Order: sequence, then structure tokens, then C-alpha cells
Amino acid sequence: MKSSTDTEPDTSMTAHAQIHASTPVLSQAKSDLIHIRGLDKTYANGGVHALSNIDLGIKDGEFVCVVGPSGCGKSTLLRILAGLDDYDTGEASLDGKQITGPSRDVGVVFQAANLLPWLTVRENVALPLRVGGRQTGHTEDIDRLLDVTGLKDFGHRYPYELSGGMQQRAGICRALVRSPRVLLMDEPFGALDALTRERMNLELQRIWQTSRKTVMLITHSIAEAIFLADRVAVMSARPGRVIRELDVPITRPRSYDTIISHPAYPALAKEIRGLLNAQGDE
Amino acid sequence: MRQAQTTALDAPRTAQRASPTPKAPVLKKKEPKAINGALVTLMGLVALFTGWALAVKYLSVPAYILPSPAAVWNALWSGLAVNPASPLGYYLPLWGTLKNAAIGLVIGSTFGLVLGSLMAESRLIEKLIMPYAFALQSLPKVAIAPLIVIWFGFGDGSKIAIAALLSFFPLLINSFTGIRAVEPERIDLMRSLSASRFETYRIVKLPNAAPYIFAGLDMAVVYALLGTIVAEFLGAQRGMGVVITQAQAVTDVAGVFAALVILGAMGILLHGIVRGLEARIVHWGDRGRN
Repeated sequence: MKSSTDTEPDTSMTAHAQIHASTPVLSQAKSDLIHIRGLDKTYANGGVHALSNIDLGIKDGEFVCVVGPSGCGKSTLLRILAGLDDYDTGEASLDGKQITGPSRDVGVVFQAANLLPWLTVRENVALPLRVGGRQTGHTEDIDRLLDVTGLKDFGHRYPYELSGGMQQRAGICRALVRSPRVLLMDEPFGALDALTRERMNLELQRIWQTSRKTVMLITHSIAEAIFLADRVAVMSARPGRVIRELDVPITRPRSYDTIISHPAYPALAKEIRGLLNAQGDE
Repeated sequence: MRQAQTTALDAPRTAQRASPTPKAPVLKKKEPKAINGALVTLMGLVALFTGWALAVKYLSVPAYILPSPAAVWNALWSGLAVNPASPLGYYLPLWGTLKNAAIGLVIGSTFGLVLGSLMAESRLIEKLIMPYAFALQSLPKVAIAPLIVIWFGFGDGSKIAIAALLSFFPLLINSFTGIRAVEPERIDLMRSLSASRFETYRIVKLPNAAPYIFAGLDMAVVYALLGTIVAEFLGAQRGMGVVITQAQAVTDVAGVFAALVILGAMGILLHGIVRGLEARIVHWGDRGRN
């Protein structure tokens, strides 16, 4: 698979050829930062078979979006990578080390921002530094992050004084403040209106292009997945498996206007939608 | 409070409607007139006192059953309009009662908060303590007061002990419930940051339980005052409980009423203080839910 689709010239190569070239999932244990192989998970209480034989590799600096029908175990997969859930069989490793619990190399962006209402925006963003007692000496990092996300003037405000989009920006700042290598995002913009969501996607693209984190983002939105991802992983209904991986051959920076008119977009969107519909999304 | 707000908001709207605006179609049904909450309360109060005064006067209720409002006012004034250092006034007994209630409250609610937190954090401690907590909770604790007087004597100790005992339970139960009620997403957040157990407790669980803790404190304040008064009934050198029993001994019913008015005012004041503290500390209110 291509190492960096974003630097590729956006020329005559047909979208279909690229899509199908990337379809077979092959092990690339050496070059992947996140490596998942044969991952299986059944919840102990209730016996729900959440994940079945998941294979997925994510390279350093790559942006991967995971789409799938509701309840297909996307969130479970993310929780396992975040070290919040355990798994039954298979491998899940980060930079060659098996994932056994939460790691400083991983920042998590939760659904609906998940800010603490008794802390100001700045205190929320600084929370990861406060935990473990490294509070001092990072004020510049926090200032820079707040500045980049347009929250500079809102540091002393409380989360409930901010709009949903601003809250989620603070959530992203918080995930970035420890400078993790990996950013895991669980439907971060699902609660936002369509327009705010597009604006947040643009901002996330900008942040990602400057910070070059490795990102795995879970979403329900096909357009969001194509807009953000280097590669889209499509999951099946429960028990979740990765049924197809599709490269997105669209140059960056992308905008919603240009991706929709891009020749590769309709075929990609159609293929993802077809895969999801075949799963009988509820 | 709420009624007063509605009234304030309604006032300009009513004024607008009254002004002649020929364009406005009269589609709305005539709304019932806004109720002035403060006015209604005041009118009720005036009616109560008038009825009370008239009943005492014309039904010839003896003063040892129900004194007239004027007699209660006189008793109240004679206790208030004195040198604060005078043993005849309300100030010294009130100070004694409040001090013991406050010390008891601090001790009782601290123990309640600590033990409630430990119970919420550890299933083992919960299983160990919960049965006794419920058993003691269902026991009318005032009934233990004579026992506590035996243990702690007639001095301040027994008052503080009973106030502490009574304010312990609301804090125990409410801090336990509040800490257990924390949203799992917030725990996930702290876990993803590899936070220690104590960090999770201090940064997330305790603030999350604050509304519950304040509700418990609101109850505990009144209970502490109640416990102190009951202990004073059983025997004390000074305190509002002593003021009441002394007035009762000479069938000075107006004096008893006056002391009750003082205690009622204290209850309202303490309640107000707790509410004010809560509004300052739990500033996010209901907006803290995800």
C-alpha cells in the first residue's frame, strides 16, 4: 500500500484501480505503528460477540477512518486500542509493544467532548498534565493549542458557556496536550450540526497536517470519512470485522467543495455505502 | 423565587398588551392574570396574624394555651433588646447552641463524607458498613440521646456528640450515592490518562458528587440544630433548649413561642447559607450532564 496518499499527484489514475489495489488486507507488522491481527472480543456479561478476527494496520502519521453499522463494535475496537477494554484473542500492539492498558502515547477524543463542568476550559485542557503531577512548565503548550483551535479567549470560561463545536475543540486540545503519537477519536463530531461538523473537519485536517499524529477516527458519516481519511476501513455488522479498506486518493488540503467534485469521490462513497447497506444497517 | 421571577418577566408583557396596538390580531385567549407570589405570601402572613390575634381576643383562648401575637412579640423583644453579654437575652444561649451544633456538624459531616467515600470506593467496606448504616438510619436517633448524655455528661460534649451523630447519616448516604452516580465516560477519561485512584476521586468523583453532598449538608444543618436542642432539653447549663425549658417551667408560653421563632429564623438562615455556598461551588448546576 502507498505510504502517503496526500503527496500523490491527483491525476488521471482511476479511482477504481486504486480502491481495488488496496482491498486485500496484508500484514505489515514492520511499518505499522498500530498493528491489529486476529483480534476477538466477547463481552463477559451478556456474551455479546463484539469483534471477530479484526485485522487492521495503521502506519505512523496515517489518518484512518473506521465506518460501520451501528453496534458493530467500532467503539469497542477504539477502547481496546486506548487500553480501556481488554480483548480475548489476537494481537493489538502500538509501536511493537502489546497494548495492555492506557498509554501516554495515546490521546483519546470522546463523543460529546466529555469535559468536566467544574473545570474551566484551560483546566480541562491541562488535565492530562495535572494527572501524574506534571502541572508546571507546560503553559506554553496549552496557550499554543488554545490559540490553534481558536479558544484563546475562552480559556477561563466553563464548558457550559461554550457551543458544542468549541467544547469538542477543547476535547481535542486535551487529547493533544501530552503530545501523544496516536489520536483515537470516537465519533467526535456526531453531536454537532452539519455545518459545524464540516468546519470541525476542516480544522481537524489542519491540526493533523501540522502535527502529523497517527489518527484513528470512528464515524457514521461517509462524507466525513472520505474527507478526513487517508484510508477508510469498513466494518461489518456485529460481530465486527474489517471487510474492506479503501485508500482515498485525494490530495490535501481538501475542502468539502473539492472532494465532492473529485472524480474519485462518487465511486468511493458508492462503494462504502454499498458495503454498509449490504450489512443491513439498522 | 420562581414566582417572583415570572412576575417580573410578565410585567412588561402585560404592559405591552395593554398599549393600543391596532395591528396585533386578538388571537390569543385571555391568559389568567399573573400571580404576584410575594404579595400572596405577605397577604397570607397578614391574614394568619390577624386571625391569630382575633381568635385569642374573641374566643378567649387562655394565654397558657396560645399567647397573642403581641405577647410573643414582647417576649421576643425583651430577649433581643438587651446587652448581648446579658444572660437574660437570647444572644448567649443562641451562641452556645449554634457553636455546639456547628462543631457537631463539622465532625459528623466530615466522618460521613469520609466513610461515604470509602464505602463508594470499596465494595468490601460497603458490605461491611452498609448494614449497620441502614440499621442505625432507621433507628430514631433522638432516642439515643439519653445514652449519649450518660457517656458524655451534661456539658457541651453530649450536645456536640448528638449533633454529630445526626448530621453524620445524611452525609454518609448522600456522598456514597453521589460518588457512585459518576458518569462512566468521566471515569474512562481518567483511566485513559492513567490517573491514580485518588486523582480520579479528587478530580472527578468528589466534584461530581457535590450536588448530592450539598443536599446532605442541607439536611445535616437542620439535624445538627435539632440534636443540640434535644440534648439541651435533657440537661444543660445554657442554650436555646434551656431557654425553652425554663420558659415552660413557669408556663411562659409566649417565651416558648419567642424562642421557637428564633430557632426557626436560625433554620432558615442556615439553610440559606448552605444554598448560597452550593450556588457558588456547584456553579455548573444541571448543565454538567453529558
